[in-house]
Amino acid sequence: MSADGVTFSPVPYARTWRALKFMAPLLLLVVLWQVVVTAFDVNPRIFPDVPTVLRAGWSTIEDGSLAAHVGASLWRVSVGTVLAILTAVPLGIAMGVSRGVSDFLTPLFRFFSVLAGIAWIPIATLWFGYGFGAITFVIFNAVFFVVAYNTLLGVSTIPMPLRHAAAALGASRWQTLTEILLPGALPNIVTGIRTGMGFAWRGLIAAEMIATNVGLGYMLFLARDFYRTEVIVFAMIVIGVIWLVLDRFLLAPLERATVERWGLVQQS
Amino acid sequence: MIALYSIWGYYARWTARWPALAAFVPFIPLIAIWAFLAWLEIFPRVFLPGPIDVVEKAWELLYKGILTDYLADSLARLAVGAAAGMAIAIPLGVFVGLNKKAHDFSWPILLFFQAIGDIAWLPILLVWFGFGLTTMTFVIVYTVLFPVVLNTVLGMRSVKPDLRRAAQSLGASPARILFEVTLPGALPNIITGLRNGLGYGWRALIAAEIIVGTSGIGFLMFDARRAGSVEEIVVGMIVLGVLWYIVDSWLLAPIERATGQRWGLVTAR
Amino acid sequence: MKSLALENLSKTYFDPYRGIQHTAIKDVSLKVNEGDFVAVVGPSGCGKSTILNMIAGFVPITGGRILVDGREVKGPGPDRGVVFQSHALFPWKTVTENVTFGPKMRGVGKAERAKIAEEYLALAGLSHAADKYPAELSGGMQQRVGVVRALANNPDVLLMDEPFASVDAQTRMTLQEELTRIWEERRPTVVFITHDVTEAVFLANRVVVLSKGHVLSEVDIPLERPRSWDKLNEDDQFKALSNKVLQLVRSA
Repeated sequence: MSADGVTFSPVPYARTWRALKFMAPLLLLVVLWQVVVTAFDVNPRIFPDVPTVLRAGWSTIEDGSLAAHVGASLWRVSVGTVLAILTAVPLGIAMGVSRGVSDFLTPLFRFFSVLAGIAWIPIATLWFGYGFGAITFVIFNAVFFVVAYNTLLGVSTIPMPLRHAAAALGASRWQTLTEILLPGALPNIVTGIRTGMGFAWRGLIAAEMIATNVGLGYMLFLARDFYRTEVIVFAMIVIGVIWLVLDRFLLAPLERATVERWGLVQQS
Repeated sequence: MIALYSIWGYYARWTARWPALAAFVPFIPLIAIWAFLAWLEIFPRVFLPGPIDVVEKAWELLYKGILTDYLADSLARLAVGAAAGMAIAIPLGVFVGLNKKAHDFSWPILLFFQAIGDIAWLPILLVWFGFGLTTMTFVIVYTVLFPVVLNTVLGMRSVKPDLRRAAQSLGASPARILFEVTLPGALPNIITGLRNGLGYGWRALIAAEIIVGTSGIGFLMFDARRAGSVEEIVVGMIVLGVLWYIVDSWLLAPIERATGQRWGLVTAR
Repeated sequence: MKSLALENLSKTYFDPYRGIQHTAIKDVSLKVNEGDFVAVVGPSGCGKSTILNMIAGFVPITGGRILVDGREVKGPGPDRGVVFQSHALFPWKTVTENVTFGPKMRGVGKAERAKIAEEYLALAGLSHAADKYPAELSGGMQQRVGVVRALANNPDVLLMDEPFASVDAQTRMTLQEELTRIWEERRPTVVFITHDVTEAVFLANRVVVLSKGHVLSEVDIPLERPRSWDKLNEDDQFKALSNKVLQLVRSA
């Protein structure tokens, strides 16, 4: 029971340590993959081994096709999401301000949130033809309704005493908007963005499978057409990694920063 | 102005007596606006049909039995997939939730595979199983799995330690603690997971049917697109939305409320 | 009800932030006789909750022994009932189901359990709330359910961890009087942790003052029973004893 020992300073290595701990099971899985495929002599058409996938992946990087696909997908997601947020948040706030209006409109928005994204693919291709327009519309749609609904919800659940307090302290309507309503609804907005982007990402992949000739979804689709399973696997991994990075390193911290920091809402 | 308020008053009283009304009435102005826009023919009829055209088409599909057949197909697939998904996911979730090592090991794996998303699996599933029921069921099971597992684990971890300690000091064995304390405590989260899972599953089903299917509502919409029949597409979308809305609001949400709120564990959303 | 003995109890744990061993409890010995009501007081951080958690078996012991009725105990068990500060009632079980949880774990039959429930709910004046859920009860009622739930399981020792800390002052006084009444009827062996000195003197027949992980002093409380706030608020002996304990705590 000694009273001395090495002093820990946990912080500097904590993040790398955590990242390693996160990667370890996945790396183990890759090893397992390789072992199973070689041990059972699995048909490469059914499931290729690790080197084949890596080689196929490398060739897509080399010939620039991966960059083209990833670029197209990310570009569509970005445009659609940004447009959606810019339109949905003001709309949501405008509607959320009046309790009566927000109660009335809530069923409408819930209905369309449910429908968001994938279900619009057929009609989107009819309206916009194949390509950028249709896909971006699907993404816009997926993010718009969810964000609008959550904004609506967020604003309408700001307790009236807060708004009264602002008024009693002489805030103008604009000031109430920027100082009270927007920050107050922000946790819900961010949660909405995160959920909406989840729908959008899935909708993106689905839409790209049928409605275009460039993008990650298309990459998958094309590979299947040519029975190039190794490209399929590579593309799946890329999709997984991109979304994981996007969600865990961008969206989740954003949600944590607003939601938990202000102690307003518990995460779902 | 006074007239507006008195209408508002009527509305408030009616919805207080029949809350279901509040779910329907807001759609009326929407439909009215839609009808107006369609009548104005800002967009050609081929792009934006009016509500009446859609209803006529719906009737036709219903009459021919196509709508009911396809709907039944879709629902059956969803039910099978969801049931299988839950049957796998809940025990898995419980296992991961109980065992710290299992949790640490599987958490990154679960997150990664969730990130890949159900749709991205379609091409490889088509290679393995072709265009059939297996492919579709797999997609739905996959989709339902993650929200349920993750929420189950979350629910189990969010049971207050004092409750477990109380059970221990009252002589409960670890197995009894699991069934009497941890699982009931996790139930609200599990139901939320179920609800989310079904929502995602529904979407995944539609996507799979659009891309792969030979029947079902998703297929209906996709086929209609090829035939250029907008009304059918819209019918499909409305059916989807209404069906989900009904299931979610009148079946799932009340269940979530009944457990969560009654036990004072969850506050209303 | 049985006796409880702590022999040279100590608790050290490793503090990862400072990389050192930290001694929370140092060589604590205490003897609680059958039917004794012992209150443990001390400044914040003196280790009283740690001691309770060790007796209850929630926290492992790193030195010394805990004996219940002469038997050494480790780990939680129904022989040491616990009343928690956060009441820890099972939210999805009714009051009756909560109270009969212990017996149910022991395999007691339904009819027998119903009788137990009836008896103990009546003891706490909660018969009307038998089928309610904890969320439907007031804070005071919840705490009462917590107390009888532990009692209904017939533990050898009853451990109470600041059970009245989170209710309002008036409810607290009512609950304290109720507790003494129940205690006088049943005479359980009780170890009661609190930071409220007057509460300790009111309830107990012995007060143990803890300081930085060891026993500073023990004070006998020979006030006669039954006790009520009306009588004791003006009682000189009560005030003197409270002061004495307070001084000890403040000097700790």
